[in-house]
Amino acid sequence: MSTARRPLVMLLIALIAYAFVLGPFTDYMRRKPTEEKLGYVPNATMLGFVCADQKAFVGAALIMKVIMYFGGLSDRPPEKALALPPDFRGMSNIIHTALKLDPYNMDGYYFAQSFLTWEVKQFALANRLLDYGMKYRTWDWYLPFFAGFNHAYFLKDYKKAAEYFRRAGDLSGNELQINLAGRYMQESGQTELAIAYLKAMIVTSRNETAKKSFGVRLKAFEGARTIEIARDRFQVKEGRNPSSVAELLKSGFLQELPSDPYGGQFYLEPDGKVATTSKFMFQQAIQGDK
Amino acid sequence: MLNIAAITLKGIFRDRVLQGIIVLGAMIFFIPTVASLSMRQVTELSITLSLSLISFVMLLLSVFLGATSIWKDLERRYTFSALSLPVSRSAYIAGKFCGISLFLLLSSLILGIITLMAVKFAITIYPPARPVAWGILMTAILFDALKYILLVAVSMLLSTVSTSFFLPVFGTISIFLVGTITQQVNDYLHTPVAQKTVSVVVMKAATALYYLLPNLDSFDLKLNAIYALQLNYGGLAITAIYFVVYTGALLACAALIFGRREMK
Repeated sequence: MSTARRPLVMLLIALIAYAFVLGPFTDYMRRKPTEEKLGYVPNATMLGFVCADQKAFVGAALIMKVIMYFGGLSDRPPEKALALPPDFRGMSNIIHTALKLDPYNMDGYYFAQSFLTWEVKQFALANRLLDYGMKYRTWDWYLPFFAGFNHAYFLKDYKKAAEYFRRAGDLSGNELQINLAGRYMQESGQTELAIAYLKAMIVTSRNETAKKSFGVRLKAFEGARTIEIARDRFQVKEGRNPSSVAELLKSGFLQELPSDPYGGQFYLEPDGKVATTSKFMFQQAIQGDK
Repeated sequence: MLNIAAITLKGIFRDRVLQGIIVLGAMIFFIPTVASLSMRQVTELSITLSLSLISFVMLLLSVFLGATSIWKDLERRYTFSALSLPVSRSAYIAGKFCGISLFLLLSSLILGIITLMAVKFAITIYPPARPVAWGILMTAILFDALKYILLVAVSMLLSTVSTSFFLPVFGTISIFLVGTITQQVNDYLHTPVAQKTVSVVVMKAATALYYLLPNLDSFDLKLNAIYALQLNYGGLAITAIYFVVYTGALLACAALIFGRREMK
């Protein structure tokens, strides 16, 4: 073989070998577990030193990484999409690191709020993150709105909730938030508050997995609210609490039994509070928690 | 000096660096598509990615143009013919610096215009929570260019003391990395924890380096541009003065060393 042809032959061999390797390689990468893709992120201070003048970019890239990871979970069957426990601790660590690099990144606060509360019940952690964000995003009403919701709905700290809702109302001029500051104290207002909150989250969400999760919860709460309204009308008319949801149906105060998208059955607790056997969670998730 | 600047600029155009910049600039047009993956801040992410790309391109330009310009002239023996002209060695250094700086300004202008167009498009996909502050965005790009022009002066100083391009290239990258964190280190040294734990010798050495090395953190206005945060105009003025003084000092050192350099 002439020396001039050697590189050409080598190139051809390399291209053929590449074509053979490419298939198994991309297949391996596609099948790689989503959990492995989240990886490890070093300490925020160290990372800040290394990424020089690209802190905002690295912060955004880290948040994207978490969003992609969480979005990847939606490839699973819908009923299992949120049942398999994702690496929430890893997600939380990465988002905290990212927000130290860029404390203004709204994607980070929004996404952390969406999973730190209902999914992992780390209310204090979520609130600390929101307080941190409020120091920077001084114009943004979403952060105090989220914090107000967390205090009212999860922590039952109504005084604090009022402060945050007032702050959100002052920033947005939104009457609903201003009214919520006064209305959340009533037990009956809780479901309504949750519905208002979820609607706000859905409208602004661009992540399909998160949107789906909010949508399911919204549907469940709207079902509960329908029963609450029927229960309140029954109380006014009959002067007592209905004994069960079936009584509401029988007496005509409730036209049809709302379905619980989590697969449970709505029922009335002895004090009249509307509850569901699913506890507003998919059964797989409850078993996973155990 | 102007002749040298013009020759330098022509040399850069001849090497087709500008075409490379335009190709990279075209990538900015795809940024809004990538940024649409964001949940709440498509426009902000578009600005983040665009400014990061501009910074990266400018870093490469300043390191490689600044560090290889004099070295290349010496290797090709262009310097001898250039210095046989009625120009001093100081004017040669100043001319080289001006040529490269003009090219950096031109590149930042082109990339800046493409960024403005891309951001305009991103706004149509998902309007930002706060209106984009175009003035702040343009100021951020300008100060980014100034930062990298200062870095060109650093690389030219290193070029005058080195016979190869390794020291200028890696030295400039190192000074860039250190220059972006000196402020953070200095802030840390003034915290009560550091006062108790860091030894006096380290503290004094770090403080000396803080004053000696360029402080590039003050040129970084990315967060202001991304989130439309108000600029501190007094701070910008002092940064501009710092740029002129520091760059002038670096060039004076470079001219001094180059003037005494023995050429064979």
